[in-house]
Amino acid sequence: MVASPVSLDSPAALSASERQRYARHLSLAEIGESGQARLRAARVLVVGAGGLGCPAALYLAAAGVGTIGLVDFDRVEESNLQRQVLFTNEDIGQLKAERACARLAALNPQVKAIAHPFELCAANVRETFAPYDLIVDGSDRIGTRYLVNDACVLFGKPLVSAAIHRFEGQAMSYVPGRGPCYRCLFPQIAEGTLPSCAQAGVLGVLPGVLGSLQATEAIKLLLDIGAPLLGRVLVYDGLSMRFDEFRIARRPECAVCGDQPSIHAPQDPPGFCTIEEQRRVPRILPEELARALARAPGSLRLIDVREPEEFARAHLPGAINVPLPRIEQDGFCPPGEGLASSDGAARADRPADRLVFICRSGARSLRACALVRRNAGREVLQLEGGLLAWREAIDPTLAL
Amino acid sequence: MTEVHIASPLRDYTQGASTVRADGATLAQLLADLDRRYPGIRFRMIDEQQRIRPHIRIFVAAREARDLAQPLAAREPVHLLCALSGG
Repeated sequence: MVASPVSLDSPAALSASERQRYARHLSLAEIGESGQARLRAARVLVVGAGGLGCPAALYLAAAGVGTIGLVDFDRVEESNLQRQVLFTNEDIGQLKAERACARLAALNPQVKAIAHPFELCAANVRETFAPYDLIVDGSDRIGTRYLVNDACVLFGKPLVSAAIHRFEGQAMSYVPGRGPCYRCLFPQIAEGTLPSCAQAGVLGVLPGVLGSLQATEAIKLLLDIGAPLLGRVLVYDGLSMRFDEFRIARRPECAVCGDQPSIHAPQDPPGFCTIEEQRRVPRILPEELARALARAPGSLRLIDVREPEEFARAHLPGAINVPLPRIEQDGFCPPGEGLASSDGAARADRPADRLVFICRSGARSLRACALVRRNAGREVLQLEGGLLAWREAIDPTLAL
Repeated sequence: MTEVHIASPLRDYTQGASTVRADGATLAQLLADLDRRYPGIRFRMIDEQQRIRPHIRIFVAAREARDLAQPLAAREPVHLLCALSGG
């Protein structure tokens, strides 16, 4: 007999209020009163309160999963509201994990929602995962996907993962000892190889489909019902409205779940830097930068860390393009050494030059600053608010 | 002609088409023909050492193909899967 994917304590009987709330579940032979009590005893951690995490957490809370954790260090931005259905206009600027938990508690006061408003990393993943029975991965970075997958394999946690791009999504589940893990499907991918939703775009409702599938899978695994997506990857194409399914096998050579694994502890992805490191980055406002450039134009080196196609559309005069994935992967390459300068006058980098990192809104340049400061020991500044703030304060003609 | 389903991140090469057609008695021949029709797409999937890149998986009739010499049977669709990172 195969053991249940999730081991839970013997739950107590439902209250009258719970019987009323979950009446439609109680009518299902696969759930019933004992299954609903089992959901109440379950503890699920959702990694990323983004496009996937929001609908997944909403449905898990509505379904009566007793404890739901949400780990996300980010704050709500206006551009999130097109798909991240836990948030409203009033939440802009607030911590996602905290606002999401407040929303889950309002939806279902019988659920304990726990905010983890920090960045998941190798140093905290064991402690963060420990209280939970199952992990739902809705992260938006490939490095975090591997961190979550490896931690689930190493710590024996079931995992439901999904990912999205434009109109397409993929989902699969992992149960320790019962099939392949994410690394068996995609052994190793460098950060920056794959475009993010910010770069490629995403249909707002797409993560709603995939996040709902994740919630379905999580409930099935918690209740040990149906046929979970073990050894199968489900691919959804919203444009052609197709679901395809592909068989995948555990790879004996897998670095984490294989016969001779080389990964024995969770690892941070290349280019990882903590939120604390990002908080310590010195900033410069657009007005201050404009004055400094007018006063002493040669003393600052402008490094634009956006993608080449974004850089080509518009950039500040004299800026040099070093995309963030390149800094994350290879470390910082000093400007002037084989890099194209927008004014065609690239000169060799001088260690005394102060580097000003620039991106569209400030998020990517902050990471670049933290990495270059730590790894190259350079004096750095981050253009606060990015080129959007520059356009607002200095140059309204900047065509971003 | 084989029906080839294109992963979302590779559709920049197929002018957005999610399904295209290509010829080949083996997977290698099919990918070569695909590259003739959609220049550049093969290199996104196969590296200089003729290995399938680690963020790409190829399925023939829903079964994973790891050998480019694999023969293709008539009417078996090929799916090109690419890792996605968005969330």
